[in-house]
Amino acid sequence: MTLWDLTQGASAKVSRFKSSIESGYRTRLSELGFHPGEQIACVMSPSMGAPKLYRVNNTVYSLDDSIASLIEVA
Amino acid sequence: MSSTQASRIALIGSPNSGKSLLFNRLTGLNQKVANFPGITVNIASGQSLHDSSIQYLDFPGVYSMQAISGEEKVAVEAFISALEDNLLDAVVCVVDSTRLEKGLIFALQVLETCHRYNKPVLIAANMVDVLDQHSMQFDASGLSEALKVSVLPLSAKTGAGLEQISQSLADTTVPPEKFQSDIIASDDSVNHLHAQELAEKYGPRGDLLINTQTRLDSFFLHSWFGGLSFLVIMYLLFQSIFTWAAPAMDGVEASIQWLASVVLPLIPAGVASDFTSDALFGGIGAFLVFVPQIFVLTLVVGMLEDSGYLARAAVICHKPLRFFGLTGKSFIPMLSGVACAIPGVYAARTVESTRKRWLTYLAIPLMPCSARLPVYSLIIAAFIPAQKAMGGLVGWQGLAMFAIYLFGILCALLVTALVSRSNAELRTDLPFVLEMPPYRLPSWRPLIINAWNRSKHFVTKAGKVIFAVTVVIWVLGYFPNYGTSLGDSWLGTMGQWIEPLFAPFGLDWRYGVAILSSFLAREVFVGTLGTMFGIEGAEENFTSLAQQIQDSGLPLGAGAALLVFFAIALQCVSTLAVLQRETGSWRLPLQLFISYSIFAYTAALAVFHLVELLV
Repeated sequence: MTLWDLTQGASAKVSRFKSSIESGYRTRLSELGFHPGEQIACVMSPSMGAPKLYRVNNTVYSLDDSIASLIEVA
Repeated sequence: MSSTQASRIALIGSPNSGKSLLFNRLTGLNQKVANFPGITVNIASGQSLHDSSIQYLDFPGVYSMQAISGEEKVAVEAFISALEDNLLDAVVCVVDSTRLEKGLIFALQVLETCHRYNKPVLIAANMVDVLDQHSMQFDASGLSEALKVSVLPLSAKTGAGLEQISQSLADTTVPPEKFQSDIIASDDSVNHLHAQELAEKYGPRGDLLINTQTRLDSFFLHSWFGGLSFLVIMYLLFQSIFTWAAPAMDGVEASIQWLASVVLPLIPAGVASDFTSDALFGGIGAFLVFVPQIFVLTLVVGMLEDSGYLARAAVICHKPLRFFGLTGKSFIPMLSGVACAIPGVYAARTVESTRKRWLTYLAIPLMPCSARLPVYSLIIAAFIPAQKAMGGLVGWQGLAMFAIYLFGILCALLVTALVSRSNAELRTDLPFVLEMPPYRLPSWRPLIINAWNRSKHFVTKAGKVIFAVTVVIWVLGYFPNYGTSLGDSWLGTMGQWIEPLFAPFGLDWRYGVAILSSFLAREVFVGTLGTMFGIEGAEENFTSLAQQIQDSGLPLGAGAALLVFFAIALQCVSTLAVLQRETGSWRLPLQLFISYSIFAYTAALAVFHLVELLV
């Protein structure tokens, strides 16, 4: 399951990044808090494929499918 | 820190850490753009209000010293080269104390960098007012001891702690090589683990994300209410540009007229008087009238940004704009372009991705800007009857105006869709990751300062180019017969040279000259045409000029061709000048000018033949 599959209100722990993710992005997502082991909650999932809102620590980020589907959660 | 001359202190921090607000608080109105050799990034500099021996330099916000976007790379390189060239005496690293872990990941990178260049660092733990509101604590002295540099809790919003910044800067030291910790991990994650450890030990505990943010998001990003409120907010934005700025624009115009009525009688009749009247008051005055619009737009967009809404608008628009090769972040620049392309180009700075910003630059000049309005009004009044249909509900003229506005927007989206699909590099780009800042009431003072600086910048930078072109156009139109006959002037001669160019879509040399002069600014078209039709003050007298155009037997196809030509062509020297300034080269403005001229010409020709075929 990826972060993009997470439904509104659900939360899960980041398990790993897909290998297709560019290393610069892996580092950046880690720096923003999306690193393996961290609990992420999907706080908003607007309809029609709009970017979803994810909460990590005390911050909310909006991620589109192109990046959220490269983060695996469990 | 050197004490003999003004100390140069860099402010560095991630976006939404409150760094720029802190900079505005520390320097007030004493700001200017710092000039660093070879750097195209904007670094604002300002003298401290609290200590005149300190000069602050506000570096653009970055999330990490390992940059991923073009904008970040430039900012990080600027910071590193300022350290290398010994241009800085100390560094203030701004972190958000409510999100300490994230701030510390970046702060640890800054400490490592500053250790290499032997520069003292002060950690400014911002937003302690939010901690106070939630009765939360954070152990600044403990953190300071752990990091071996000073940590100053402060609030850029309330001003708490700001008076201690000079003392803290004097007390702080060069960071040690490595922060002391028991953690042994690979380099990639070591900073993160250290930051986590420090945040847990010294940071505030508990849930700080206020529920109101989630509640507001569930409204503003709701499938229906979100879209509806988006439309309402955009409508209000438009209204503000046109209605709030209108009195100020009238004021500027009246002031220029008053100044002209005082100055012109003092100059003896002749070349000098004509130059002052036509080029200085006419040419420069016409452009100064738009300054209030830029001020209001910067203020309102700044307010939306400060309130946290802009990030939500970008989320709403991301998906539809992605289809056209753009990103949600292109939305505000394009929207600004409907008022005027210049603030639109400035607003494009918020698009971090260089490629998407480049695509946004392609779209902005095609957005139906307000300078096109007088031209559209004139042509529509000349060709479309002022009748209403459907029981007075729909006016044909209004419908025509709507159609030509829509045409411009569709052209912009078509261009970006085609260009982005033609180039694989433009298709694959930075994924959309956007921090949603908390909603908050805007801080007016920095917003007004920013809008003022932006307007000043517009006048001083674009003004120089506009002045130069005004002089050239005036000289060409005035000589060799001293303004007695425009048709025999050099401009008129050039108009006759270019007549064959416009004849294929039914326009004579007078329209050619008007188009030529409208390169300065589109609305000049109406004035030039008016002069040539022998009507004084044509811009206030659309209907009679429209009548003249009708009587001159201009075919309907030519009128439609003119509309289409003006909707596409980039005849705006200020936009070209600002694009040059923002991209650092003439390459893009020239490419756009040439390709949009060809596009405008081809489309106008096609529309002329189509209309002539149908009518």
